[in-house]
Amino acid sequence: MMEIKDLSENTGEWLRGSGKESDIVISSRIRLARNITGFPFISRANLKQKGDIESLLRETVIKSNIAKDLSYVNLNKANAVDKLFLVERHLISKEHAEGEGERGVAFGKSETISLMINEEDHLRIQVIRSGFELKNTWTTIDEIDNCLGGKLNFAFSSRFGYLTACPTNIGTGMRGSVMLHLPALGMTKHIEKVFNAVGKLGLVVRGLYGEGTKVSGDLYQISNQFTLGKSETEILAVIESVIPRITSYERMARKALILESKDLLEDRIWRSYGMLKAARMITSDEILQLLSQVRMGVNLGLINDIEMRTLNELFILTLPGHLQKLQGCELDSTQRNIIRASYIRKRLEGI
Amino acid sequence: MKCESCGQKLATVHLTEIIGDEQKEKHYCEDCAQNVTSHFPKAPSPSDILTSIINQVSPEIREMSKTTCPVCGLSYLEFRSQGRLGCPMDYNVFKKGLLPLIEKMHGSSQHVGKIPANAGVEIVKKNELIQLRKELNEAVGKEDYERAAQIRDKIYELSGNIDDGD
Repeated sequence: MMEIKDLSENTGEWLRGSGKESDIVISSRIRLARNITGFPFISRANLKQKGDIESLLRETVIKSNIAKDLSYVNLNKANAVDKLFLVERHLISKEHAEGEGERGVAFGKSETISLMINEEDHLRIQVIRSGFELKNTWTTIDEIDNCLGGKLNFAFSSRFGYLTACPTNIGTGMRGSVMLHLPALGMTKHIEKVFNAVGKLGLVVRGLYGEGTKVSGDLYQISNQFTLGKSETEILAVIESVIPRITSYERMARKALILESKDLLEDRIWRSYGMLKAARMITSDEILQLLSQVRMGVNLGLINDIEMRTLNELFILTLPGHLQKLQGCELDSTQRNIIRASYIRKRLEGI
Repeated sequence: MKCESCGQKLATVHLTEIIGDEQKEKHYCEDCAQNVTSHFPKAPSPSDILTSIINQVSPEIREMSKTTCPVCGLSYLEFRSQGRLGCPMDYNVFKKGLLPLIEKMHGSSQHVGKIPANAGVEIVKKNELIQLRKELNEAVGKEDYERAAQIRDKIYELSGNIDDGD
């Protein structure tokens, strides 16, 4: 089994900054919610039942050889920094970290696949890939689901589909989402139009860490709102058809910004880059803003001495949980701001 | 000012009585006012107001309020206040209340899509029929009658030997 600290020096494969439209589309993610028959849902399960579900699922997942070098973390025993670290890497959700009782997460070495046990539902399967890759992502998660569905009895009715703890997830139990970097649409305030158009198609816009999280660093997640009444491929097709329109809209907005206020835009981008290289204290909100500007600078061809992968790494490795893991101790926010700035300066040294 | 009938509670009802040329002011508390005159109906209690709102907004709650799942022990009211169900059986036990909610939530109340890898033959067939009916409607909508006829034949073939009630 891999130790969490082995992960802290690098990032998952979905942040490698490659794949279709990866200048704007950061990642594609699909998750499936599943429950096992014969047990209550998590909110009504007692300690013993939670333990039984956890061991049944853990054993089945580990035996099924779902991913290469599978790791398993028991969240009931994990400390607060480790849990925060896993949330920041999108391997578990905030709710899963904050939950109670026996629960855990299994994930592959590349961190493409993660299986959350005893989150809101008994099992949540997640596959996440770099760039605009919903089709491949679906193929992978469909296979995992078929493999586990052959060994476990998933709660299912022909009327309501897969039965979940919250009726908002029934049917396919699927949430497909694509994370987009839309700085120009944000700057020109055209983002509201995107939200409205997307809403009419049954899609919703969420922040960086999913439901109920705020938008920061110009990063948006677009995902399906409804899970019942349409097949998985039909739901994904809607998202697939919308994304290229949003990315071309963003590209148009960037071109317009260059035409109308080139000097202002360039100044903003270079100032952000300078700040990253020079600042002595950077807050977690500020770093997202700075990285967002620099990322746009790289995409526009203004900055060409920094790789997208490095930007993505900085984005994850400077989050509070990661910094504390890297430093090996708990830090207050002032200490984190100092260490964050010094870590970034070191990474950008010589550039 | 105290109520002039019981002399204890605060007078909140002020009546003006006119008999002949004479005008009299009277001050009562809410309770005593109801004994003196029928013109003052009792104000509805907060719980009465709540019940009437619930009846207007979600009429199913009143009907379902006494239903409890025999498997997990969750009551329908608990579900409505927490938004989470207790066990898979709840979808059956609370079906009457859930159907309109689900319809409102998803714009549909019939699953289309994957079925578990180890689902029984019956479920597989039932699901295929649902999918075919959907395709049939689409074909008819597009006036593709050749395709519609093909789908219809498939439906006949499949539905011949299974009970398709829900």
